[in-house]
Amino acid sequence: MGYKRYIIRRILYIIPLFFGISILNFSLMNMAGDPVRLMTLGNPGLNIGQVRENLRAYYGLDQPVYVQYGMWLWRFLNLDLGTSFYSGLPVNTIISFYAWETIKLELAALLFALVVGLPIGIYSARKQYSKLDLVASSSAILGISIPIFYMGIVLIIIFSFFLGWFPSFGAHSLQTLRYPFGSYFIDELWHLVLPAFAIGWVSMALYTRLVRSSMLEILRQDYILAARASGLSERTIIFKHALRNAAIPLVTYIGLSLGTLLAGAPMTETVFTWPGLGYLYVNAVTKLDFPVIMGINMIITLMILAVNLATDMVYGIIDPRIRYD
Amino acid sequence: MTEQDLGETETTNEITGDLERVSEPTSQWGIAWRRFKKNRAALAGLLIEGMIFFLALFGSFVAPYPPNDISAFYQGKTRAPPSWEHLMGTDYTGHDVFSQIIYGASAALQVGLGATLISILIAVLVGSVAGYYGGKIDTVLMRFSEIFLVMPAFLFLVVFLKVFLTLRVAGFGLGTVIFVLGLLGWPGDSRAIRAEFMKLKELEFVTAAKCLGASSRQIIFKHILPNVLHLLIVLATSAIATNIIIEAGLSFLGFSDPNIITWGRMIALSTEAMRGAWWQGVFPGIAIVLTVLGFNLLGDGLRDALDPRLRE
Repeated sequence: MGYKRYIIRRILYIIPLFFGISILNFSLMNMAGDPVRLMTLGNPGLNIGQVRENLRAYYGLDQPVYVQYGMWLWRFLNLDLGTSFYSGLPVNTIISFYAWETIKLELAALLFALVVGLPIGIYSARKQYSKLDLVASSSAILGISIPIFYMGIVLIIIFSFFLGWFPSFGAHSLQTLRYPFGSYFIDELWHLVLPAFAIGWVSMALYTRLVRSSMLEILRQDYILAARASGLSERTIIFKHALRNAAIPLVTYIGLSLGTLLAGAPMTETVFTWPGLGYLYVNAVTKLDFPVIMGINMIITLMILAVNLATDMVYGIIDPRIRYD
Repeated sequence: MTEQDLGETETTNEITGDLERVSEPTSQWGIAWRRFKKNRAALAGLLIEGMIFFLALFGSFVAPYPPNDISAFYQGKTRAPPSWEHLMGTDYTGHDVFSQIIYGASAALQVGLGATLISILIAVLVGSVAGYYGGKIDTVLMRFSEIFLVMPAFLFLVVFLKVFLTLRVAGFGLGTVIFVLGLLGWPGDSRAIRAEFMKLKELEFVTAAKCLGASSRQIIFKHILPNVLHLLIVLATSAIATNIIIEAGLSFLGFSDPNIITWGRMIALSTEAMRGAWWQGVFPGIAIVLTVLGFNLLGDGLRDALDPRLRE
């Protein structure tokens, strides 16, 4: 009962948040400069003033900001993000093209972080102060101290330039002839390795730390002792009884860090020239492509809100003790 | 007589010695320092930060070359690999990379400390008021902070800085970056402080202060805040590390003052010749990693030393 109402309230709550963020972003963006001036800077003709006025009218930039926001909002509610100033393509098309690459990259990184981080965290907790635990703890604190873009640069220098194992940029090879084993899929995976490792390593470090500390706390509790006393196998105790409770902080953290990862995409994607949303965003801000800036910002905000909501919903499933009121 | 005197002085000596040993840990900070000293990783962090502070303050005396020295350019030694003359090589205009790194320390620390000071101040104000008063004020403040918590802060930062780059407000400089970073960094910390305030305001010492007629402001700042200080220190140390990393990313993308040497910008400039001249980017990056690592180790050590739950 309470759960359902809680979720409905959370969904309703997204609406004011969305308005606040979009208004803030729209007004900020309009202060960032005059895109029409930037466009015409290169060819100052005789009647440049007239040309600029025409362009402003064409893009709707001659209206006051609140009218522009209203127009943007109306289009947004009709699921239309507008048209890019530069490419002339609908922003929907551009974003759906680039978003796929970003999602692919982030999911690969998350998978890597979980597959490596979870077992190491569990092992570290069980064998506290063992050699692997020490290595894991120190690499975890090193992991959160390395900026992702720097990690990317070091990986490119070592594995791409010196060893020549992986490509240094892009999401796939430009020529079909260069596909390894002639397969598009393997080519994509091959390009994914370095950026996914760069992003995933930091998350992995954090997950390891988190799983280790929550596991340590849980393994000391009475119900684990009771489980041990009733002769359950170690595997059942760890995976069925302890991990389920250790997963609660982890789920929160994954939810929170997905937002950070998405927002941190500009740097990672710039390093690897990855054709994703972050790369697109940095280009759009330097070119003052308003519809694209607004579109990406709002899509990522909505993604973060959705992930937060999903996190809250997952809580209820993992931990029935949580009460909603 | 003499023997007795000697005996007496000895015992007093022993007593004072004992007294010293006993009285030292009675101070809260004394206990924390004793626990901190035992933590080798935390001491290493302190040492690293000491070095970085030293370089930031006295860098011009330590650096082998002046900031804008391009004498290597005239000797044809642009993008020269590391050698005895240039410990970390030179960049594309002949700047000595080692010297540039030393000059960059000041910017990194300014951003880390400045932005953290601003964000912690806002966090304390919002968190203490929301936590202490509760009710409607709490709801409004927390809803407001949620906007900042949910929005993709880094994307906003980029647009924010683009605004300042365009308008050139009072000379776009490091100050702007510090201000904007501080302005966006507070919501997470304010929640932690609020939670602590909500816990502490129910305790007896607050009730006692209220009975003695203390005003709300006195209770918040004089009675509760000192008890949250350990949390503030821990939050601040990790915020410094985060701010330094974010600033490095912004400089890397080119959204920072082009007239100031920052480690992020050095890495950005290195990307045009990464294959040939790796030293241009790798060494500034090591400087970032060391500085951030130092603050993280320090923060971990402080948390362990100051956490009242972990007291012996």
